[in-house]
Amino acid sequence: MIRLDNLHVRVGTFDLREISLEVPKGGYALIIGPTGSGKTTLLEAVAGHARLRSGRVFMHDDDVTHLPPERRGLGFVYQQYHLFPHLSVRDNIGYGIRAMRPGSMTLDPDARVEELAGMLAIEPLLNRSVRGLSGGEQQRVALARALAPKPSILLLDEPFAAVDPATRQVLRRELRELHEREGITTLQVTHDFDEALRLGDLVAVLSEGRIAQSGTPEQVFRYPNSAFVARFVGTGNVIAGTVERTDAHGEPGPFRGQFTGGNLVLDVVAEREGPSHAVVRPEDIVLSLTHYPGSARNHMEGKVVRLERLGPVTLVHLDVGRPLIASLTTQSVEEMRLKAGTAVVVAFKATAILLV
Amino acid sequence: MPLRSALPRVVLAGLGACLVLFIVGPLLRLLFFATPETLGEALRDAELRDSIALTVFTATAATVIAALLGVPLAYLLARRNFRGRRLVQGLIDLPVVVPHPVAGIALLLFLGRRSEVGGALANVGLEFVSHVPGIVAAMLFVSAPILVSGAREAFRSVDPQLERVARTLGDTAWGAFRRVTLPLAARGVLAGSILAWSRSVSEFGSIVILTYNPKVASIYIFDRFTTFGLQSAVPAAVILLLVALTMLVVVRVLQPQDRQ
Repeated sequence: MIRLDNLHVRVGTFDLREISLEVPKGGYALIIGPTGSGKTTLLEAVAGHARLRSGRVFMHDDDVTHLPPERRGLGFVYQQYHLFPHLSVRDNIGYGIRAMRPGSMTLDPDARVEELAGMLAIEPLLNRSVRGLSGGEQQRVALARALAPKPSILLLDEPFAAVDPATRQVLRRELRELHEREGITTLQVTHDFDEALRLGDLVAVLSEGRIAQSGTPEQVFRYPNSAFVARFVGTGNVIAGTVERTDAHGEPGPFRGQFTGGNLVLDVVAEREGPSHAVVRPEDIVLSLTHYPGSARNHMEGKVVRLERLGPVTLVHLDVGRPLIASLTTQSVEEMRLKAGTAVVVAFKATAILLV
Repeated sequence: MPLRSALPRVVLAGLGACLVLFIVGPLLRLLFFATPETLGEALRDAELRDSIALTVFTATAATVIAALLGVPLAYLLARRNFRGRRLVQGLIDLPVVVPHPVAGIALLLFLGRRSEVGGALANVGLEFVSHVPGIVAAMLFVSAPILVSGAREAFRSVDPQLERVARTLGDTAWGAFRRVTLPLAARGVLAGSILAWSRSVSEFGSIVILTYNPKVASIYIFDRFTTFGLQSAVPAAVILLLVALTMLVVVRVLQPQDRQ
């Protein structure tokens, strides 16, 4: 278990503040955010490399705030791997076991190195120098090295950033399997929300040194709490505008209103008036070739700009006076014979519009 | 076009060749001036043998002291951003710009019996002026900056993240230094030490003021030259030159490949 309690870290002029997060034992949490949002600083703070201005770090209910990195019992895989260039692959992996204080948990270094090499399919590399390993190989060695002393917590800093996409997929799957087999509480940093959806039980979106939103990947993806999160996690169409009340009764709670963003006017269910962002998920947009009478009140005419096929799903890029993206099954795109230039009617329900 | 672009290169190469010849020429002339007979004779001279032994001993002592005191400082200068770092760096480099006889006089005033420091040290049996420790002190003064800057660059070339990785793997700060940074910087530190050692062996200006006797090799050569003339100084000079050349080769071999 990792619990961060209101951390504040300052690096130069950058502040990481109000960081509170709990990763349950055996959980897999992802910190996502754009470059410069403080992701790596956050990991360094958990590892004990960065000095805290305030806040506490707990691991398995122990307060480790003042413990040096070597006494926190964690493994850390860096983005650039940082393998020891003067040691062989075998000695890199065995480093942590050899560095253990005598009297603490004893592991047979050779047996443990062989076991991990087997798991990660790097046995043929064991006696080689780390110079000249490919990115994927270095990644596996770095992972094996971090896991060797059997840490109860694993920290991963963009572990797949420097490998090619094919290797990335394989490594992701292996990492998830390893996580389940070894039961390690894992905290990973990434800038890729896709990775979070695939790997994490818990996601925290970091923006300018603060946690903008945290929750399950599904929650964050479906219900982003800000335009920043919506854009960052790729929820789809984020439109800036203003909400006005259309029902006259001033009762508290959700009310019917009108959202105006540029030339786009939408009927919405809102909770507050004023400047806002409307988030419309691509799969909640309905396209038809003719007007149809129905409950979808928000109709507008538009044009197909281009089609982006992603296997069974096709993204339809639309122009309704502003760009919109709809997600349809490839089958219905073919049935409707959509192509660039096709005039369509775009519709979505008021309840499908998320105001943030 | 080829002629135009070739011309500057020829000029540059010619200028460089002049300098290289100017360095190599005199040394070759010296090497060939001595004959095997005169060299053999010189090596049989007990006084020369003693002075070479004294030179090797004192230069080694100065290098060991410089390493013990200077390597930790070099690490601090490379890794820590402390207040006054630039000042310390400047002070360490000071001996490089101080003329060596000036350094000799300063050391004489500082370590002589009449100074407080020198007097106190003399009272515990450590005499500098006209004693072997004086030679070591002079050598230390002029060679320490070379060792510190060599070691500092060696530490700077080691990725500081590697120590952090070692710490997360359960190693202590000292363990990470000993098992990661030191082995990676070792060649550079050793190369810096050998350069410092060579600098000590070649020192003359400050030693001649502090401790003329017993004579180190450079003073022995000077003494021969002024007392008996050129012919008498050459064999000892050749031997010292050969020692220096050997050290240069060792330093070259130690230097990391990618820096050459």
